[in-house]
Amino acid sequence: MLLPWEYGVRNLARRPVRTGLTLLALATVVMLVFVVVGFIRGLEQSLSVSGDDDVVLVYSVNSEENIENSSIAARSPALLSASLGGTWKRFGVDHVSPELYLGTRVSTSDQENGLGLVRGVTYRAPLVRRNVKIIDGVWPEQNEVIVGRLASAKLGSHSDALAIGKTIQFEGETWTVSGHFAADGAAYESEIWCDLSAFQTVTKRQDLSLVALLLAPGASAAEIELFCKERTDLELRALRESDYYASLQQHYRPVRLLAWFVVALVSGAGVFAGLNMMYGAVAGRIRELATLQALGFRRRAILLSLVQEGVLLAAAASLLSGVIALTMLNGLAVRFTMGAFTLRIDSVAILVGCGVGLLLGVLGALPPALKALRESVAISLKAV
Amino acid sequence: MRMMNWICVAALAVVVGCGEKPTAEGPDAAEVAAASVLYVAEAEPEGAVGVGEARESAESDQAVTLVGRIGGSSKPFVEGLAAFTIVDPKVPYCADDEGCPTPWDYCCTQPQVKENIATVKVVDADGGPVAFDARKLLNVKELSTVVVQGTANRDDQGNLTVAANKVFVRAE
Repeated sequence: MLLPWEYGVRNLARRPVRTGLTLLALATVVMLVFVVVGFIRGLEQSLSVSGDDDVVLVYSVNSEENIENSSIAARSPALLSASLGGTWKRFGVDHVSPELYLGTRVSTSDQENGLGLVRGVTYRAPLVRRNVKIIDGVWPEQNEVIVGRLASAKLGSHSDALAIGKTIQFEGETWTVSGHFAADGAAYESEIWCDLSAFQTVTKRQDLSLVALLLAPGASAAEIELFCKERTDLELRALRESDYYASLQQHYRPVRLLAWFVVALVSGAGVFAGLNMMYGAVAGRIRELATLQALGFRRRAILLSLVQEGVLLAAAASLLSGVIALTMLNGLAVRFTMGAFTLRIDSVAILVGCGVGLLLGVLGALPPALKALRESVAISLKAV
Repeated sequence: MRMMNWICVAALAVVVGCGEKPTAEGPDAAEVAAASVLYVAEAEPEGAVGVGEARESAESDQAVTLVGRIGGSSKPFVEGLAAFTIVDPKVPYCADDEGCPTPWDYCCTQPQVKENIATVKVVDADGGPVAFDARKLLNVKELSTVVVQGTANRDDQGNLTVAANKVFVRAE
């Protein structure tokens, strides 16, 4: 015969302080799991949506994987347009975007010298970067910038400091914010975009970092790659944008592995914390458990009731943490070396977080319950 | 008996789940092997010259036979096309004890590569590049030594491209 369901539920209410503290401990553990898994998922999402399969990046062969180190001749876009037939062209405009990309110190009204990512672009940039949308304001003119949704997070400043009309300083020049853009969570969202020629003037550079080309339907990136191989004098390399960000995923693989290791550690520590709490909870109830056995309840039924209590507490803690994570953590901007991204509490994060929570409930309740039930009824009834 | 059924179902699920994905993308092995017969030479062509010498002497549209080692950058092959860069065998690549993970990029002898590199693209009867990966088509890898027969194409900047119709791969 099983113990009634209400017995376990009422037991939780009988010791409100102990129950509250256990709930808090479990909720903290589950919240930590949510934070770490949300971090991993946010990083993965940011890199996976950043690359467009139809966009090819052409940059210096000497810069290896880092386009910030790339320097190519200013005539490269014209040369590529003239030599290649596979790029998209509409109304006589080649979808070829010359860009100068730099990591530089940026000062805002509330932040002195935050490290920002600045991209000098032309009107053709949104033709190639098709997920970029102006959500506020207008395209920048001379000495104006348009900032990504996460640029303030990258700079470590308040979003008000990058409001339209505010000024920022970089490369010894003052720039006025003319608008904001979003890019479906892609890496550009943490960047500041300005006019290419203005940026070249202030940085005293005539070269470019890269050229981004949008492929025409049916065209192959291999054609561009072959052109770069044939023109060895230009020292160019071509890479699909999606492959570029996939290589960054590989680059950040140790970070992701470390983060999953943290999830395992936090979960392990959580199990021990749960065990400790449940040992305390069960230790004070040895007589009660012996009485139940004397009344005729089988050990298995009592064990099940104790596990029920643990799982109920863990489920409540998971629910509490889940609600907090979804309402307060989801979408929170995180600054990172490659820019900034948002914590992502998605289905995977919910599954892992709640799974760990429920596991804590079961694993935490089992050993102390087994220990308590191993004693004989007569001795347990005399326990203090 | 019921337990056995469950074990069988689980085993079947594992076998089905772990099976190799069907290769829907890319040419199959038979297709590549058939194409390979057309472009791989069985005997080494005679009179092959080094890439460096060819860069100095070869004219555009002239028939050439070049010998070179596949390399010149960390990724000498063009993905999805039978094309790659070769470097004159006289240029030494990074020795094993240099600890270079990609010795075919000639990082230890970069200045010599500039004048001793050529691009090879295997072309079909129409003159278009063959759309199979060279590694599969020719069974080559980085630092393989190849002898290519084809037509030279020089530009004003001195770059040399060979539109190859036969490639011989030297045994290592």
